[in-house]
Amino acid sequence: MRFPTRLLAAHLAFGALLWAGYVVVIALFTVAVAIIGKVTGSIWELAAQLPRIYVLFFGVSLVREYLPMYVAHGQTRRRFAEHAAATIAVFAPCMAALMAVGYLIENGYHALAGWPQGLERPHLFESTGQAGLVFSEYLIEFLAWATAGALIGAGFYRWRGGGLLLTLPAGIALVLVAAGATGSELRMPFVAKLLAFRVDLPDSLPVTYAVGLGVFLAGLALTWPIIRDVPLRNR
Amino acid sequence: MRVEVRDLVLRYEDTFAVDGLSLSLAENKIYGLLGRNGSGKSSLLSVLAAFRRPTAGEVLIDGAPVFENAAVTRRISLIRDVGETVDVGTVEDVLFFAEWLRPHWDAAFAATLLEQFSLTRKMSVKTMSKGQRSALGVIVGLAGRAPLTMFDESHLGMDVPSRAAFHDVLLADYMAHPRTIIMASHLIDEVSPLFEEVVIIDHGQVVVHEEAETLLSRGIAVTGATAPVDAFTAGMTVLGSRELGPTKSCMVYGELDEARRREAAAAGLQLGPIAMQDLFVHLTGGSR
Repeated sequence: MRFPTRLLAAHLAFGALLWAGYVVVIALFTVAVAIIGKVTGSIWELAAQLPRIYVLFFGVSLVREYLPMYVAHGQTRRRFAEHAAATIAVFAPCMAALMAVGYLIENGYHALAGWPQGLERPHLFESTGQAGLVFSEYLIEFLAWATAGALIGAGFYRWRGGGLLLTLPAGIALVLVAAGATGSELRMPFVAKLLAFRVDLPDSLPVTYAVGLGVFLAGLALTWPIIRDVPLRNR
Repeated sequence: MRVEVRDLVLRYEDTFAVDGLSLSLAENKIYGLLGRNGSGKSSLLSVLAAFRRPTAGEVLIDGAPVFENAAVTRRISLIRDVGETVDVGTVEDVLFFAEWLRPHWDAAFAATLLEQFSLTRKMSVKTMSKGQRSALGVIVGLAGRAPLTMFDESHLGMDVPSRAAFHDVLLADYMAHPRTIIMASHLIDEVSPLFEEVVIIDHGQVVVHEEAETLLSRGIAVTGATAPVDAFTAGMTVLGSRELGPTKSCMVYGELDEARRREAAAAGLQLGPIAMQDLFVHLTGGSR
């Protein structure tokens, strides 16, 4: 299999640009909070929800935009699936690394300004300076969110609304299991709060990684049967 | 590339888009694929390009099955107005992926075509006009140089000069790089001069498959004074007629042998060709 360099390069370049802009926006937002009120902890932690959504839509767009393009350029669905899986497998750690760097940058200006750098909710890491654990948590989360996006995107592309209904619960399950594996609490009120649904797993990094890998592979395994013979839509 | 279609069936729920269609196309010719709305043209092309798996039947390209067969599909290009190959970011992005995924991609040719169709690499595809998007699709189809290249109403939205430029470039590039080209279009009179062979399908089945010249020879315009024209065409299949004062012109379907041609000349009638579009209307059942 030829490595999907161009597919990856297109997304990494865009993701890195978005991240750079987001770092600046969050820094400015923090300054604004400090001017009108009080900075009580990490803003980057609260801001992490948007990158998750971005990674989810990265997964959706892989199927929605790039599967038809691959097939229209004479590539097979199998080749696309291989390239998409490889792209997610490299994109997720790159984005996780950027999230970890984001915390480090925030640590820097919080220290300079004398603002506290506390965390609001449980994580795999206890301090924002634990770059390895920060990376691990976001890696596992992003693998799950991207794969969930690909699964939901595949369902919607193939069956429209019915496909969305079919794949959405499985996508949410992937994300929740990954969140459980990292010991973090998801901000998904309808699922996590109203239904009081939580997945708690043993506090061990190898188990966390094993579950993260399992979630990634399960997502791919659920997506493949949907796209293996999917017809290209006329509209 | 040779195309062999045997007893092809493609069904969408209860509707048969293609219904037991068989077809054989030799390599390195330009084919016109004609049919009315819903006749099954686009469905047939989507199966040939492996965009869809057929419900039944067999599709062989150079003797090999096409669906999910990378060795075959990488040599096939189908450009539709849906825009699968162009719906990513900017023109630069479109070319970026085409160059990577198309084994016969000619980047220099693509650059020349961009200039010819007045497109720039920084243009955002989403903000382009319909005609510009179509032109970009045409560029991807031509510069891809796939041994089996198909255009399905790819010129929708392009203005007349752009369509003429497309047809000129297509013909010139085909002469320089012979390959099998299939064009589906409703603008029959505009594209028919390009065709070497014509396939007309209706209700998911092949109605006509023959050389364009042979097909055109089946239609004749008989022009002259009204009475001799009426007498000559009596009993023939008349596709249509026009009158201007004492002169009448009748379009008839069917071949005329030498004796009939002499008879026409003796009656002072002129015989001439008719447009492929008129034949098409007749062969697909006239007005519905």
